[in-house]
Amino acid sequence: MEGLMAFWSETGIANFTGGQLLMMGVGCLLLFLAIAKGFEPLLLLPIGFGAILANIPNAGFTDEGGLLYYAYHVGIETGIFPLLIFMGVGALTDFGALIANPKTLLLGAAAQFGIFATLLGAIGLNLVPGFEFSMQDAAAIAIIGGADGPTAIFLASKLAPELLGAIAVAAYSYMALVPLIQPPIMKLLTTKAEREIKMEQLREVSKKEKIIFPLMVLGMTILFLPAATPLVGMFCLGNLMRESGVVDRLSKTAQNELINIVTIFLGLAVGSKLSAEQFLRIETLGILVLGAVAFSIGTATGVLMAKLMCKLSGGKVNPLIGAAGVSAVPMAARVVNKVGLESNNQNFLLMHAMGPNVAGVLGSAVAAGVLLAVLG
Amino acid sequence: MTSISEQLSDALGIMIMGMGLVFTFLSILIVGIGIVAKLFPAPVADIPAPQAPSNTAVATHLDPKLVAAITSAIHQYRAK
Repeated sequence: MEGLMAFWSETGIANFTGGQLLMMGVGCLLLFLAIAKGFEPLLLLPIGFGAILANIPNAGFTDEGGLLYYAYHVGIETGIFPLLIFMGVGALTDFGALIANPKTLLLGAAAQFGIFATLLGAIGLNLVPGFEFSMQDAAAIAIIGGADGPTAIFLASKLAPELLGAIAVAAYSYMALVPLIQPPIMKLLTTKAEREIKMEQLREVSKKEKIIFPLMVLGMTILFLPAATPLVGMFCLGNLMRESGVVDRLSKTAQNELINIVTIFLGLAVGSKLSAEQFLRIETLGILVLGAVAFSIGTATGVLMAKLMCKLSGGKVNPLIGAAGVSAVPMAARVVNKVGLESNNQNFLLMHAMGPNVAGVLGSAVAAGVLLAVLG
Repeated sequence: MTSISEQLSDALGIMIMGMGLVFTFLSILIVGIGIVAKLFPAPVADIPAPQAPSNTAVATHLDPKLVAAITSAIHQYRAK
């Protein structure tokens, strides 16, 4: 009988707390979104499962010595996982569209306004009782507006590790919601005539240009913003492996096997931060709201900048491509293409939107570097 | 309250400086890309351009006879 009592006291049923059950519900919701709705399944599935594992009573996944503890400790606390992902993203990214039309870098820059405006918003939220975000917290939340998962996780792990779970979940959820969030803003800020603008075909880009590009970006980061070199450096390494054409094996590994392996553990480790005591707080609600605001402002400023470029260029730039300035590669570019096709079913903007899209990745990495340099 | 207004002005400062830096950084990059594009113009565009038409020209010259030969061969083969 004593043995049975001891067994009972170790079961999940006897030890559940309401918070844990609720968080398992959140985990299940993420799994549902990933499996049934197809929202960023590559990340939301391991994150959701990690959330379930992290809230099992007496399992010790997140205690010192547990699997999730180590996955988080080794991969995220050190910043290694997001950086490896960034290398893979670099190896997956073709900068051809950007090099062919470098002015689109300005769109990628303009869309970063979402980040900095949200910084202000997060501090402003301190006026509401119950919120106490430090400047570091605010910066980590604001980077959600960069719409770049690895950058958000990297910055949050450096500036506000205790908010990491909520920030990562918000960042990936909004990236999945790009097709819902962006089109209304894009349509609100542009006229039908502007949406119908056809853009000139992009020029050919030589192989040398593509090889020099990552080196040039790295060189500039070294000179002006060393704080961003972990992110930009790994990104450029991946891109150089791709474009140099001499290390196809490494490039393929970085963009397939390696990024997949890291994604599994990154997702689990982020999920481990979705424990009841860390997630079920009023701050999480604030982070979710601020994230959406950051995203919307970034989209809006990107489109407004593109409108300005349209005016200055005499109507050669379709303002829709500005919306792709908020990284979220390649989803944002696809959304631009789709909205463009709705206005004119012969107008394919995908390649033109890829320029600002990859510019947005660089822009948010630079913005993250600035925030790290000032607040880190 | 004073601390919040201080924080807000700090955040505003970071916002202005951050956007300035992002724009400066990417603007310099635009100049850089422009210079590299001047130094290494896409030769790929020039070389295949003359080749491509000649290839297709040869191809079109050969096409009718080749196609006829191949189709008749196929017909013969299928007829067996």
